[in-house]
Amino acid sequence: MAAPDVSLLRIRGVTKRFGGITANRGITFDVEAGELVGIIGPNGAGKSTLFECISGFYAPDEGEVELDGARLIGLSPDRVCRRGIARTFQKLRPFQGMTVAENVMVGALTRTRVVKQAREQAHEWLRRVGLAEKAHAHARTLSTGQRKRLELARALATAPRVLLLDEVTGGVDQRSIPGLVELVRELHRGGLTLLVIEHNMRVVTAVAQRIIALHMGEVIADGAPDVVARDRKVVEAYLGQAYVG
Amino acid sequence: MRGALLFFAAAGLAPLVVSDAFLLDSLVLMLVWGCAAGAWNIAGGYAGQISLGHSAFFGLGAYAAALCGVRWNISPWYGVAIGAVLATGAGAVIGFLSNRLRGPYFVIATIAVSQVLLIGASRWRGFTAGSEGIPVPFRPGFWTLGIADKRLWIWIVLALALMVYLVQVYLERSRRGFQLAAVREDEDAALSLGVAARRLKVVAIAVSAAFTAVCGALWAQYVGFVDPLYVFSVDLSIRFALAAILGGLGSALGPFLGAVLVTTLETWLRAEFGGLGSHLVGLYLILYGIALIVIVRYAPQGLVGWLRRT
Repeated sequence: MAAPDVSLLRIRGVTKRFGGITANRGITFDVEAGELVGIIGPNGAGKSTLFECISGFYAPDEGEVELDGARLIGLSPDRVCRRGIARTFQKLRPFQGMTVAENVMVGALTRTRVVKQAREQAHEWLRRVGLAEKAHAHARTLSTGQRKRLELARALATAPRVLLLDEVTGGVDQRSIPGLVELVRELHRGGLTLLVIEHNMRVVTAVAQRIIALHMGEVIADGAPDVVARDRKVVEAYLGQAYVG
Repeated sequence: MRGALLFFAAAGLAPLVVSDAFLLDSLVLMLVWGCAAGAWNIAGGYAGQISLGHSAFFGLGAYAAALCGVRWNISPWYGVAIGAVLATGAGAVIGFLSNRLRGPYFVIATIAVSQVLLIGASRWRGFTAGSEGIPVPFRPGFWTLGIADKRLWIWIVLALALMVYLVQVYLERSRRGFQLAAVREDEDAALSLGVAARRLKVVAIAVSAAFTAVCGALWAQYVGFVDPLYVFSVDLSIRFALAAILGGLGSALGPFLGAVLVTTLETWLRAEFGGLGSHLVGLYLILYGIALIVIVRYAPQGLVGWLRRT
């Protein structure tokens, strides 16, 4: 037996129903500190619902989510964030009326009370995600790829222990994808724990050390990328019965 | 900032230069409406909680001041404080109960509250004197707010105006201000970044309500009569919102400029076109409406936004 260390993030039997539809059914897995875990699954598999449950936007009907041994279920989203879980949204939600730097400052102000410090931190994060020259532009003027970077910077500014990324390359033009992928890798190398929802199989197998596949709200595979990608149930879920050889 | 300095200096010096009673009276009222619009702006402009029920708080303040004199024979300054406390409580309750309501639903909830208070005030004859309203007794002296000198009134209201202005400036520069702006832009995104959105909104509405009540209390003492159908009316709520929106939502000086514009326009149009004969009695309101449309068309960011561009 390995040492009984508690995993950084523990998901235990998370179930979320919407009326007659069960979006998440008994989802259970652990994420260790420093891991980069990809979450895949066809549309409607329950990936985003799971993120909503972890980040406190939905209250699951059953199950537990623990960060470093402390329960998160029942906490409001802002508290979950202050505990150390940050997220991005699949549908981007920049603060349109604010400048790029101000967007990031909102995240930084969760950790510091001093506006000047928050501003400095914001510029630092913008430099790291490659948006430094856009700092004073209005958020609404950014392209989709830049908005993704902005969301990342904003979430990172809250100094998370675990970062949940929902579709970081979704809706982004092909040329911007390698840059974003490299950015995610760099964050991971920096020691951040990441949970990444990704549609693009090429992207997810390139960055993740481990992949969890969801289908109809359940975990159908959990393991190394090449193993999961060849898993019979995963192929079936993605492509249908006819492709299973 | 320079604009604000100019504005407040001009308002403060006006009593030394102007002696015309009508102009001084207009200036007092402009400042009262400016304060109320600024107070409204704290919730509506900075927190994005658009209310059309702020007359509820204005009326609470007005009644508190009037009743202190009529029922208990104590200083209306207590009324100012009582009104502010009651309005803070009412604002916090409304903010708390309507926390999950967004957009039009919040607006409807605020209108409903002001109308409930209107019904209460106009039916509770034994206490509020019902729909007849209450004349506010004039007892000369500063402590009793029985002040005949309009110049002194200007300075009293100006002090309140400065406070309201400074609260707004705080909301533009402080940590809380940035967080509130985030809540206004996108509440879920703000929550995801650790902003305690619900609590911030409640506090913003409560503070906004408190200042509105102080405006109501001073107004009641100045005008000398509290009519429930006026102080709890939707018209009055719209006046606050209109001045803030025309002046510039979420800008500290905007509501004051908006109030000057709206009050001047209304008074001037009524004087010019109000007395043209019974068949044209509503003409000035039509012109007023047209003027507002033109302003919104050419200065969609409000007067402050328009001044910054030119």
